Amino acid sequence: MKRMGLLLCICILLAVSVTGCWSRRELNDLAIAVGLGIDKVGDKYKVSVQVVEPSEVAGNKSSGVAPVTMYQATANSLLEALRKMTTISPRKIYIAHLRIVVISEALAREGIGDALDFMSRDPEARNDFYVVIAKDAKAIDTLKILTNLERVPAVRLFSSLDTSEKQWAPTMAVKLDKLIADLVSEGRHPVLTGLKVIGDPKIGETKKNVETILSPADLQYSGLAVFRKDKLIGWLSDEEGKAYNFINNNITSTARSVNCPKGGKVTFRVIRSDSKVKGSIRDERPRIDIEVTTEAHVAEVQCSLDLTKPETIKELEKLAERKLIDLIDTTVARVQQDYKVDIFGFGEAIRRSNPKAWKTLKKNWDHTFANIPVNVKVHYKIQQLGKVSNSFLEEMKEQKTE
Amino acid sequence: MPENGKISIRQFTILVMLVTIGDSILILPSISSSFAKQDTWISGIIGLLVGLIAVYIFSALGNLYPKLTLIQAIQKILGKWFGTLVAALFLLFPLITIVTFTREMGDFITTEMMAETPTLAIQILFTCIVIFAVRLGLEVFARTGEIFLPCIILLFLLLVIFLIPQAEFEKLLPILENGIKPVIHGSFSFIAYPFLELVVFLMIFPYINQVRLIRKGFLQGALLGGLVLIILVVISILVLGADETARTIYPSYSLARRISIGLFFERVEAMVALLWMLTIFMKSTFYFYVFNLGLAQLLKLKGYRMLTLPTGFLIIVLSPIISPNITYYNNLLAEYLPYYDVTCYLLFPVFLLVIHFIKNRFKSSPDT
Repeated sequence: MKRMGLLLCICILLAVSVTGCWSRRELNDLAIAVGLGIDKVGDKYKVSVQVVEPSEVAGNKSSGVAPVTMYQATANSLLEALRKMTTISPRKIYIAHLRIVVISEALAREGIGDALDFMSRDPEARNDFYVVIAKDAKAIDTLKILTNLERVPAVRLFSSLDTSEKQWAPTMAVKLDKLIADLVSEGRHPVLTGLKVIGDPKIGETKKNVETILSPADLQYSGLAVFRKDKLIGWLSDEEGKAYNFINNNITSTARSVNCPKGGKVTFRVIRSDSKVKGSIRDERPRIDIEVTTEAHVAEVQCSLDLTKPETIKELEKLAERKLIDLIDTTVARVQQDYKVDIFGFGEAIRRSNPKAWKTLKKNWDHTFANIPVNVKVHYKIQQLGKVSNSFLEEMKEQKTE
Repeated sequence: MPENGKISIRQFTILVMLVTIGDSILILPSISSSFAKQDTWISGIIGLLVGLIAVYIFSALGNLYPKLTLIQAIQKILGKWFGTLVAALFLLFPLITIVTFTREMGDFITTEMMAETPTLAIQILFTCIVIFAVRLGLEVFARTGEIFLPCIILLFLLLVIFLIPQAEFEKLLPILENGIKPVIHGSFSFIAYPFLELVVFLMIFPYINQVRLIRKGFLQGALLGGLVLIILVVISILVLGADETARTIYPSYSLARRISIGLFFERVEAMVALLWMLTIFMKSTFYFYVFNLGLAQLLKLKGYRMLTLPTGFLIIVLSPIISPNITYYNNLLAEYLPYYDVTCYLLFPVFLLVIHFIKNRFKSSPDT
């Protein structure tokens, strides 16, 4: 009997203590933030979060309310701002499901480092969101635009960055850990993709934006922001962004056209691309060799070409090679001349191949980088022609001359 | 005899392996790579080799008195009075070590999972389970180890295999960037935490079935555990990179967070955390058992079970006292505790061996 009583006591005690509900949070007590914008006002951070409206996103019913809502607060630090939002929001902001963090260009020019520490320290924040820079805009404005296809704008920004990196390749989908690794690395400076609002933002913020077939306003990724440590110093164009991705072996697929020998254009679909950046020291001078191997299929022909002849393919390969080398060369040269920061990781390549020489080189690396010789080699392999061999354009023209 | 159970050599090997993995799986990658950077895997190999030598020395000491526990052996080697004094001193080592485990458990859960829960609440619950396991005796928790082993192996494989797609081999380069010195420095903690702390197994030598196979089982267990740790270190460097491994307090948990297969198998870190919760539980239980058993033998008690509650309270009280905050604690782990381990867990058994041989020479010389 005594034993039973003791057991009962233990059971009750355990039931009280091991439920794990000390800091429990119910789903309907949380405001799930999917997008986070960071601006700077004076020396304070203006933080805006895009929070999903649960009833709008779940299921098929929608009552006409916007799928997300936004809270904003200005404070000395990110956490202060997030907590200050509870004075407006009925729920606590929960950032474990963040999809995208937008940092305004103005803040990026002052330095993004301070704003990032919170993200890497907070146990709630995970590492699966992308970081982008709002180009010529406030971060908060980019998070106000309503979007089609994906109802939650932050999810759309996430998917769009992911897809554009994989299919067109001018953008870099950068997660926090990669950004921090680049920030602390001595042989590489970070880049982030730019995000801009196109069209009329006034309408974009209203329901009208998703009512018409062609949205009056939309969000578009454009260009790569070049950083010196954590400060933004300039932009690369989409084409230069592609070159960046070719150098960094970050091409999954893209499309590229070249001029045909006799005028007109032919376009290739890049299927695979692999690149190696090798650093070496020759005659006590650092040099970089970039070797890109690209596999492509002919995708679009707008000129007269006899694709049934192997020589034509060879000629096309040569042309494509030449064009890619030019692109990489001019991009590297522009970064060397205009920005003088090593965003390509050439320093890392030298550090890996010759750690001893790197020890002396790293002290003045960005200066050395600006004058470093870069040798680009491209192997372009064209393998398939698509569904047809010679274009029907060819036949069309022959009939004309007859 | 306070302990009447016997365990098989298989159970012993598994226990050695789990204790080797122990808390090292959680804290070691960060500590070791803060010195050795991308060469931590070399530190790991050095650690494993030196560790196996240490295990060999331990089993040599154990084989001298296979019928006695370490506490009894100390008393035999050093004489009744001095021996008792030294044995009492020796018992402090497992005590301090269990306190650190309890502390780690509480810190880990409050840092990564339940930020608002008081650390003490977690430590009390954890210690309760440990007390409970120890009261059931050696045989029972050796079998627990056997039962948990497939689960631990499965979780570990899950962690490693699902992260292979994210591995970047160039993160290992350049090898030996700053020479061999930092690598050696990084290997100190790699030798101390997993391997030197195995010396407490000398306390259970009399309770193992086949005395002949003890050395083999001991070495096997340490080798397997060491390989698990080396693989973990390699994967943390390949996936997180040396910088982030060193900067993160619990790299293994960061690794688990990275698991993402096809955007549907992700956010499984709480599940993977079970891996080190189990191994830390096994290590703490074993140490707590050793502490109580040793204390009982020192005090010439018939059983150790009545000691478990008061010593359990002692641990709960000591774990907040051992360090005021996590910075102090991490400093302790990185800078001081490895040397403490070397003194207590390596020099001490060597000292015993030397005394034993000197004594034997004196004893046997008049006869010849």
